[in-house]
Amino acid sequence: MKKSVANLTGLLLAVFFAFPTYWMLASALKPKGTLLTSSYDLVPFSVTGVNFVTAWTKQGFLSSLGNSLLVTLTAVVASILVGLLAAVALSRLRFRGRKSFLMLMLVAQLAPFEALLIPMFLMMRDLQLYEHLSSLILVYFAVTLPFCAWTLRGFVNGIPVELEEAAMVDGCGRWGAFQKVTLPLLGPGLVATSVFAFITAWNEFLFAKVLIRSQDRETLPVFLSGFQTAFGTDWGGAMAASVLFTVPALVFFLVVQRKMVAGVTAGAVKG
Amino acid sequence: MTAVKTTETAAPAGSVPPALPPAVTGGARKRRRGGAFDRALPYLLLAPALIAILWLIGFPVVSVFVTSFRQLNLGELVRGEIVWTGFDNYVTVLKDERFWDVTVRTIVFTVAVVGASVLAGLLIALLMRALSPWVRMVLQITMLCAWAMPILASATVYIWIFDQTYGILNKTLIKLGFDSFAGHSWFSSGTSTLTVVGLLIVWQAIPFLAFSLYAGAVGIPRDLYEAAGIDGATPFQTFRAVTWPEIKPLLMMVTFLSTLWDFKVFAQIWVVKEGGPSGESTTLAVLQYLEGIAKSHFGVAAAVSVLMIIILSLLTFQYLRRLLQTQEGQL
Repeated sequence: MKKSVANLTGLLLAVFFAFPTYWMLASALKPKGTLLTSSYDLVPFSVTGVNFVTAWTKQGFLSSLGNSLLVTLTAVVASILVGLLAAVALSRLRFRGRKSFLMLMLVAQLAPFEALLIPMFLMMRDLQLYEHLSSLILVYFAVTLPFCAWTLRGFVNGIPVELEEAAMVDGCGRWGAFQKVTLPLLGPGLVATSVFAFITAWNEFLFAKVLIRSQDRETLPVFLSGFQTAFGTDWGGAMAASVLFTVPALVFFLVVQRKMVAGVTAGAVKG
Repeated sequence: MTAVKTTETAAPAGSVPPALPPAVTGGARKRRRGGAFDRALPYLLLAPALIAILWLIGFPVVSVFVTSFRQLNLGELVRGEIVWTGFDNYVTVLKDERFWDVTVRTIVFTVAVVGASVLAGLLIALLMRALSPWVRMVLQITMLCAWAMPILASATVYIWIFDQTYGILNKTLIKLGFDSFAGHSWFSSGTSTLTVVGLLIVWQAIPFLAFSLYAGAVGIPRDLYEAAGIDGATPFQTFRAVTWPEIKPLLMMVTFLSTLWDFKVFAQIWVVKEGGPSGESTTLAVLQYLEGIAKSHFGVAAAVSVLMIIILSLLTFQYLRRLLQTQEGQL
């Protein structure tokens, strides 16, 4: 009896969480003309892919998708590379100032980037990077780097150093041991960390809006925020564009879903 | 202390602790010739990250404070003039009644959103323990979907759901007999707008909170509950005596993190109504954007940023203090 009450509550909550996602998909699949009516259709009466074609061919969609991918992937690759170097040093080596570096990473991870909007804007302007995608790459690199370094350090800590030592006994150099033993074991950690960095950059809106003004250089969040200019009252098209925007993030999320909580909380919360 | 131990065994030759297993020292001896290189290695590895952080985070932090003492509007920016105004920008901001309205609104909004999402996250985490495995799985998948949805996509969907004429919410309410919701605009007042935005944020914040707290709750040893059961504790007593003390540190951490995140929310508020109607849903993050970017009052906006940073720093400091207490020896 008690169990069934709990289960019922759980299912109702599942509906609450799923509904917006469902509604996005359902609206995207509805034929034009059935959206802006007073008819009540929780389930689409008929299904069409035409909205996806509209969204895909909409002026600015493809270029902003390309810009988003370019900016996000470049920033993530840079963060992971630089973060991994720092993580290895912080996890495996012992040196003067190590604690200060760790503290710096921790604080930088919590830096309120939104409050640095004005100096970032002025700095990018001085560097002549305003209106260039490279300004966004730099910002996203800075936003994700401390997180990547900190999280990767946690993953490196989790790999027993004895494995590397064993490889060194067998004749590997330090670099060889790292490359042949630690790096492969670090794979899942690298994937999980880059997914989080990817989603952070993929989502970012404020800097994308401020640092880029010309339409052919804007990223997907900015494109979507102007959907009313782009789509008018074409909610089907706007929802289809939202679906296309969600798919990469969702796929990546499902890839690492097991590591999810551990990844976010590894450095931050677990004692 | 595991972190410290592993770093010692991998230490460069100069600082190898005396009691190492012979195999390790053997390995280390081979590498000893590059003494200077080994000593420099950690700094070389850290250099790119350090330069990036100092340049892209450190410099803007200094710059925002400096800018807040300058008169910097579009004119000065274009001419490249440097005009110092002392505390004028702060006087302007602090004397402006709107600033205080916005600050109070931001704090109330943050407290409400954080309170609602943490409470809901905790309740769902506890509920998940009581669910049948398949229901738990369904709930977790739906929460993952909500979590993974990009903010701009979810905001767009919410605007569509809450649409005045064709939104599914108003249609449903009419169907249920609440005819007054025909043509009801959810975005006609600041409070109503912020409620919808708050719901959107809470909806997307709960999954992280619920998953983290569930991971914490699952880790509580079963025998503690068995002992409580033998002692005849009521469910509430069990919660207070067993679950609460075990989960409280984690709860504090995620509450701090949520506060840090929700205080500076911009995207959702901006996309839904651009801080309107007539500025009634403007928060500090939006105000900073409006002053700085929309009106090109960079000096004044920087003063707003500094005030935001001060509030956030106090929170961050508290958070770090607790964090370092819980994982001493981790650094």
